[in-house]
Formats: sequence, C-alpha cells, structure tokens
Amino acid sequence: MNSRLVYVIHKEWIHIIRDPRTLVVIFLMPVMQLILLGYAVATDVEHLPAAVLDQDLTPQSRDLIEAYRASNYFDITRYVSSEEELGRLIDRGSFRAGLIIPTGYGHNLEKNHKAQVSFVIDGSDPTVATTAFSAAQTIAQAQSLELTQEIMGLDPENLPGVAVHPRVWYNPDMKSVNFMIPGLIGLILQFLTSLFTSMSIVREREQGTIEQLIVTPISPLELILGKVAPYVGIAFFNLAEILVIGVVWFGVPIHGSVTLLLALSVLFLLTTLGIGILISTIARSQQEAMFVAFFITTPSIFLSGFFFPLEAMPQVLQLISYVIPLRYMLIIIRGIVLKGVGLRILAGEVLAIAVFGVFIFSIAARRFRKRLE
Amino acid sequence: MIRRTLAITRKEIIHIIRDPRTLTIMFLMPVIQLILFGYTATTDVEHLATAVLDQDHSSQSRELVDAYRASNYFDILYYVRSEEELGRLIDEGQAKAGMIIPAGYSRSLTSENQASIAFVIDGSMPSVATTAFGASQTVAQAQSIKVIQKVYGIDVEQQPGIDVHPRVWYNPDMKSANFMIPGLIAMILQMQSTIFTALSIVREKEEGTIEQLIVTPLRSIELIVGKVIPYVGISLFNLAEVLVVGVLWFGVPINGNILLLLALALLALSVSLGIGLLNSTIASTQQEAMFLTMFLMLPFIFLSGFFFPLEAMPQVLQWISYVIPLRYMLVITRGIILKGVGLNILWDQAVALILFGIVMLVLATSRFKKRL
Repeated sequence: MNSRLVYVIHKEWIHIIRDPRTLVVIFLMPVMQLILLGYAVATDVEHLPAAVLDQDLTPQSRDLIEAYRASNYFDITRYVSSEEELGRLIDRGSFRAGLIIPTGYGHNLEKNHKAQVSFVIDGSDPTVATTAFSAAQTIAQAQSLELTQEIMGLDPENLPGVAVHPRVWYNPDMKSVNFMIPGLIGLILQFLTSLFTSMSIVREREQGTIEQLIVTPISPLELILGKVAPYVGIAFFNLAEILVIGVVWFGVPIHGSVTLLLALSVLFLLTTLGIGILISTIARSQQEAMFVAFFITTPSIFLSGFFFPLEAMPQVLQLISYVIPLRYMLIIIRGIVLKGVGLRILAGEVLAIAVFGVFIFSIAARRFRKRLE
Repeated sequence: MIRRTLAITRKEIIHIIRDPRTLTIMFLMPVIQLILFGYTATTDVEHLATAVLDQDHSSQSRELVDAYRASNYFDILYYVRSEEELGRLIDEGQAKAGMIIPAGYSRSLTSENQASIAFVIDGSMPSVATTAFGASQTVAQAQSIKVIQKVYGIDVEQQPGIDVHPRVWYNPDMKSANFMIPGLIAMILQMQSTIFTALSIVREKEEGTIEQLIVTPLRSIELIVGKVIPYVGISLFNLAEVLVVGVLWFGVPINGNILLLLALALLALSVSLGIGLLNSTIASTQQEAMFLTMFLMLPFIFLSGFFFPLEAMPQVLQWISYVIPLRYMLVITRGIILKGVGLNILWDQAVALILFGIVMLVLATSRFKKRL
C-alpha cells in the first residue's frame, strides 16, 4: 500500500511542478491577501475630510472649530461661504462631513442660551457615518461641559462623576491586522485544499486518465490520499507562510500553542478535503469545479464571521452560520492566536469540527467510490 | 459584417445554453451576493453580550448597570461573582464585554470624587471593540452629568451649551444595504464580464477551435464583438436583477437617473471586456484564466473602496487605488443611486473610465490580433 500511495503522490507532484504559473499564484496569493487584509482593512476612520461654513465668525465659533480639529476625527481643510458650496463638495465626495455654524452662535453662548450648530454627514458608507455621527456629538458635549464649568466656576478636577477605565483584552491596540491574520489562516486552509483537491480529481476525469488509474491495483482510498497529500503539504506551507509574515512583519502576537493550532488544522482538513472530494463528484469540468468552489466559499466567508461580526446579523443568518464549518475554525484559530486559550475552552468548537469532518469526509468517500465503480 | 458578428453571437449563445449549470450560477450568484452583502456587511453591533461584576451592591451601582442596559449597546446577560468568572466568559466568547464595579463605588460617588469602574472589552474584533469602547465612555459621561445635576441642583436643560443637529445625507438611516448594493452593481459589471469573456475565448484556444474560426472570412474585431455581446447582455440582465431586488426587497432608493446609470454601465463594461480580452491573450488554459482573474479580483475589491473606506488606508495603497477602474465605477454607481448626482459632478470619473476603456481595448485587440 505504501509504495502505491507514494507513486500517486509522486505523479500528482509532477502535475503541480509542470504548471509553474499556478504554483507561483498558489504561493503569492497568501502574501497578497496578507498585505491587502493587513493594510486595506481599516474601519477606524480618523482624519475625515471636513469643510466648515462659519457664518458667525466670532471667537466662540473659532473655538468650536478648533475643538473639532483637535479631535483627530476630522481634518478641517476647507472653509466655504455658502451651503450650496458645502453641498457640492460633499456631493462630489471630496469631503465627507461639514460643520455649519449659523450667525448668532457666539451671541447665544454669551447670553447663556443654547447655541445650535448643524453637522452634515455623508451617510453613504454607514461605517464611516456612524463614527462621524458620534464623534460630532461627543466633541460638542465636551465643549458644552467646559462652558458649564467655566460659568459655574467649577473645578473639573474635583467634580463627582464616573470614570471608566477601559481595558481592551487580547488586542489592546485594536489593530485589525491582528484580527484578520488568524482568520486568513482558516480561510486559506479551506479554500486552497477544497479547490485544488476537486480540480485535480476532475482534471483526471476530464482528460479520461481516471480510467487508467482504475485499472491499476491502486485502491480508491490510496488514490484519494495520494492525490490530496501534496495539497495538504501546500496548505501547511501557506499556513506557515502566513504565520511567519504575520509575526515578523505585522507583529501579530501568538499567545497560544502553535502545536495545538497545527493539530486542529489537520482536523479541519478532514472537512475541507471532504468538501473538495464532494465537489469533484458533482462537477464534470474544471470550470464547473471552480465555480462550485466559489459558490461555496462566498457564503462561508460572510457567514463565518471572517469580516463582519455574526452578532450584528439577522437571526436567520446567525442560525445558518452554525452549519458553516469555517465558523468554528475561526473561533479556534482566533482563540489560540489572540486569546491564548487552550482545548479546555475550545472543546465545543473542536467537537463540532470533528463531527463535520467525519460526516463530510465519509459522505465524500462513499460518493467518490460509487463514481469510480 | 453585422451578419458575421451575429453568427458568432449565436454560436456563443448556444455554448452558454448548453451549460445550464454555469448559467444558473451566473444568475444566482448576484442574488446570493446581494443577500450576503445586504444583511451581513454591518459592523454596528448593538446588544453586545456583557457580564457584570458588581462588588458594590448599592443602588448607585444598580443605576449605573441600568444606564448601560438602557443604552442599547450592551445586553447585561451575566452577573458574575469574581474576576476569574468574568475572564472565563470573555475567554469563551460568551461575553464580549465586562463591567467591574469595585466595592466603594457609591461611597466615592457621594464624596465629590470620581468613582472608578473598569470596563473589559474583547478587542479581538477591532470594529466591535471600538464601538464598545466609545459607548462605554459615552454612557458613563451621561451618568456623570446626572450625578453633577443631583449634587449641585443644576438643571442641564437650562444651561448654555452647544446643540448639534446631525443631518445624515444620502442614507439617513445609515443602512449598510444602501451602501453595499450600488457597490455590488459595480462589482458585477467588473467581475462577471471579465471572467466570462476571458473564459469563452480561452476555451476556443484550449479546444483548438480557434484555428477553425481563423480560416473563416471572419475578422478579429467581428470575432471579439460577436463573442462579447452575449456576456454584455448577461451583465446588463444581472444589473437589472440587482437593481430590482435592491429596490423591492431592500428598499434601496434610486435617487438619480437610471438612464445615466445604464449609459455609464456600458462604459464600465467596455473596461471589463478589455481586461477580459487582455487576460485571454495571456492565459493559455481556462484554469490559468480563472487564476489570473482571481489574482486581480482581490486588489480590485480591497483597493477600490468596495468594503472599506479608502481614506483610512496607507497613502501608498491610496495611490495604487487610482489605477483600479472599479474605484471609479463605485463612485459613479454610488453617486447616481445614493446621492442622485449627475454628469456635472461625475464627469471626471466617467473620463477616467473612458481612458481606461480605450487603453484596455486597444492593448487587448492589438495583442489579440498578434496572437491570431
């Protein structure tokens, strides 16, 4: 059995090496994803370009503008003279926010009245808009508090109140790269192995060489194992690639056990290879295999919590997420890398991965054998 | 010429119809993406699972917990007895935040001092953590003002201060579906036509049928146009599909001119078809063509502003984004659908697309002719 298995692996390896372009793509892809996910995924919006329409032109209005400028949230780079001009700038998209201080603002404050200002926000991107929305209010609130203190002659140091000391665990700087890199490991494990396993099997069928393999003494199990082994190797190489670049270049800390991470990745491969073999029994051509792999990957990216928090999704989609194996794997990888937790806490997820793996792999193996016979 | 072009179009349509599975995927994919992007692409987390460790057990501490509960940001799901228990809940992911009110909280609150509490946040998901971070501060700030009012007997309503009236334009409810659906239209125009143009030409190459086409009186421009027409049709159909589902199901308002959207969509399609053609002159197998497209797709999605705001990216990536045509398409589709603006504002984006279209098509056809 062993030597036959080695022959199949050797044959598959030759296939891989003969197509150097694909090989380059396989190895470059994770690097590119790392760079994009590491640098381009930034939801913390600061320095939003903002324009100001100051119709008041008093020291008070300038104070308020200074407070907004100092906040880091808004870059005030333009003063306009009419609402139309402000509207045009925001329509064009070169500015995302606009502060309108009406005449009488300073006068109202001097007379100890409430002073009104308007704050225009481009709401098209909700992530940006929510941040801008709350920042606009927080700054004004702080400014009001200062005014009150001034008028009442209170000493801000000695006021009663609640002081919150936030402690951010696991990722104290809230860097998105720390969050994306563990997720990327799970995604690449799933996508690469299921895609390449299915394509390598379908290719044999498309070219008719699978019949030649069947008439040899190679058993279906040896055939499957032999064909998937090189891709398992590549997947682990990519895993190492991501970990090394993540730690060395992006400074992602690994708090947990790398051995445990590797062991559970092997367990997860049972699921992903099973999916790949299943696809190969459905697809008739390589093109179909690719489309089906994409078709499966897209929902698993979005319903696993890879980009967006599951908690914010509608209940129905949250329920669907329970049948997405990547969901559990992401919790495991993030748990080990970011939180440094072990098997004791991840037991439920590990069990889920194991059940999925056994279930999917056995169905896949059965269907595969049937197609061969 | 038209007759020959149409003959090629007919041949291509037969190819498409003969593969009903791929056809189904072509038409289903936009709907699935629509559902996924419309519902899942949101980071505004409310009702974050929160654990409370109240070591003070006073009416003041209960009041603070209630203030957090009332804020909508935090769901107080667990009351724990020790920091270890709190830590375990957060380690397990059962709770994403934890509030620790130390003993003596109420005492220091009444004695004109700041009373301190600790607020633990699971920072692993930064978008959630930043919201929680900000919310934890805002709630406490509001609570502090209440305390000041009580202690000094001041009515804040009568105090001077600044009232901010936020006006959120274009998408007043800040719904992510309104943001994602125009983006999805641009992405479909970009991706689908690129991949299918490339595949349809490479397929002929791979199967050797391209030689048969070359010996016919067909000119290469007729071949290209004929092969591309069905995919333009499919892309426009998908555009309509996304628009209809977006408007009827997700209630996305279309504030601008649909005819302008269609006209600029055709412009965008010419860019994508050019990229697809270029791809087909590089790739020799369908597999290679797909990998090439996948390789392009990633930077396209991330550096165009499709998911994440360009302004928040490092300067270098922002520069690179200028050579990504999807960037301009996104500004156009979002501008027309959300902002309701017209050509007077979008003209520079349209010019950028025209330039891209000309460069891509000229490059692609000249390379294509050489290969033939």
